[in-house]
Amino acid sequence: MENKIDISVDFAGLHLANPVFAASGTAGYGDELAEFINISAIGGFITKSITLEPRRGNPPPRAVETDSGMLNAIGLANIGMEKFVTEKLPILSNMKPVVFVNIAGETIEEYAAIAERLCTEKAIAGFELNISCPNVKKGGICFGTEPSVVEQITSTVKKACKKKILMVKLSPAVTDISEIASAAIDGGADAISLINTFTAMAIDIETRRPILANRTGGLSGPAIKPIALYLVHKVYTEVTKKRNIPIMGLGGIRTAADAIEFMIAGATVIAIGTANFVDPDVSIKVIEGIKKYCSRNKITTVREIVGSIL
Amino acid sequence: MTKIKKGPFWAKVCGHKQTGRTFYKLSLELTGDGAKSFSKTIPGQFVQIDLSTIALPPIETIPDEFAQQSRRGLLLRRPFSFCDVTTKKEKTIAEILYCVVGPASLRMTTLKNGDRVNIIGPLGNGFTMPKGKKAALLVSGGMGCPPLLHLLNLIKRDYPAIAAYVFIGAKSKADLPCPEVAKEYSGKKKEPVMLLSTEDGSAGTKGLVTELLENWLDKSGYAAKDIIIYSCGPEAMLSRVAGISKERKIDCQISMERMMACGIGVCQSCAIECRLPDSRNTIYKLCCKDGPIFDAKEIIFSE
Repeated sequence: MENKIDISVDFAGLHLANPVFAASGTAGYGDELAEFINISAIGGFITKSITLEPRRGNPPPRAVETDSGMLNAIGLANIGMEKFVTEKLPILSNMKPVVFVNIAGETIEEYAAIAERLCTEKAIAGFELNISCPNVKKGGICFGTEPSVVEQITSTVKKACKKKILMVKLSPAVTDISEIASAAIDGGADAISLINTFTAMAIDIETRRPILANRTGGLSGPAIKPIALYLVHKVYTEVTKKRNIPIMGLGGIRTAADAIEFMIAGATVIAIGTANFVDPDVSIKVIEGIKKYCSRNKITTVREIVGSIL
Repeated sequence: MTKIKKGPFWAKVCGHKQTGRTFYKLSLELTGDGAKSFSKTIPGQFVQIDLSTIALPPIETIPDEFAQQSRRGLLLRRPFSFCDVTTKKEKTIAEILYCVVGPASLRMTTLKNGDRVNIIGPLGNGFTMPKGKKAALLVSGGMGCPPLLHLLNLIKRDYPAIAAYVFIGAKSKADLPCPEVAKEYSGKKKEPVMLLSTEDGSAGTKGLVTELLENWLDKSGYAAKDIIIYSCGPEAMLSRVAGISKERKIDCQISMERMMACGIGVCQSCAIECRLPDSRNTIYKLCCKDGPIFDAKEIIFSE
């Protein structure tokens, strides 16, 4: 029975073997996880954020565990676009999962320059626009909180990335996330991913200093899942359903049940983030669990459950 | 299908005993792919253990200092070094000497023979062996001794001509991790020379292990180029050891520690600032993948 279940999905014009992605920043550039899982088994893969120039990232400590979650303030440490093209793209091109490159920058021009350079690469299906990374003072949260800026950056990058798919990743730290989602779609977004981390902090009570050198970091993990689920549902019902734009749901997913909740709430695909740090093979378990759920509930195609909330 | 090399594996507990006031030794048995993977463990490498599913000890036995924080649920794996790894036939036994420092290691104390734990590894780079040296100095502070004991075993086995000197530092006699390092040895009966120092003088020489090391170096008679120092312990101590090795032009490898989320080079949490050779510039290396063992010369200590 389980073999006959169709867990493939269509997402912004792509046909995917299954709805499970590895979220940006939690699976590196793809090659790191190869020692732990058969990466071909997952539906899609999003690289860590790439910037035009290499970035060394924030001073340590960069991460700390909190209740049912963790804070990180990596500071977009990455090898930069040119090195990404020469060193990592050849590896990605041999991978079966659909590849999205997460791009970040401090100016709209930087984002556009990366999209323009990478849009001719066959190995890349599309881009995820990081307009919500809360760690970089000059960029990050500023782009993602103002609807007019979101529309502007989306439309500029959309022109630059030609025929590639453009997905915009939303920050939860906004007054009305639906307004931001609408602005991204007005700007030409082909898909919306949500949510990024929440800005948060932890303090060492002995030294009275923040534990992270950056003082604040992004909260991820199971702690944020119910909020992420609510926001996915809100954006689905208020915006994307009407406009026929698919959602990638993420935030604290670590089991098949979590993934299915997001799909019922309105996500066409889901991404697993922090859970990859604990279990590098968690994606495989989630894919198996989705099949079992469908089998148990006599669902023949997983697409049926998307937005099926009563 | 990509070949799975480093886990996750299930390991079976095959020994567990208290070796000091807050120290325990846990023996894990691996079979199959896990045994193969861990049979190649180099001293200084580490393992990531998922302790989130392990029960807490009975609530009334939890020390006051951990009583409240032990209620926190664990999410991430915890990294541990090895004090020995041995392979016999199809099985590999990995031994972990650990200190109870928080909710995760507190849970670890309840593991008993036959229990299974989920592990990933061996991870990181490990120490480089002391080829061409006449003496290896193993300098441990606090809970830093396990990877050095592992290294000591390999030096004795593979480099018997190299003299090993072990320097153990602790706050007091009660803080020494295990009986193997609780006594001084002169090195006469083939055993390595072992020297102790405690901050309160309750065992060995009173003072810091770095002072013990310096006093020994002053009198040793070895040429600097014939010696190598290996060190693991608190960062302030490692910083001093690195300083001593620089002043005296002695090769030195240091085991570093950072908060890690993944341990496999993905999350980029465990950054360590390092000097670039022949340059004033620095880069961040990753403790989990580029380390945890670093050349003392490259590390920029924060303290």
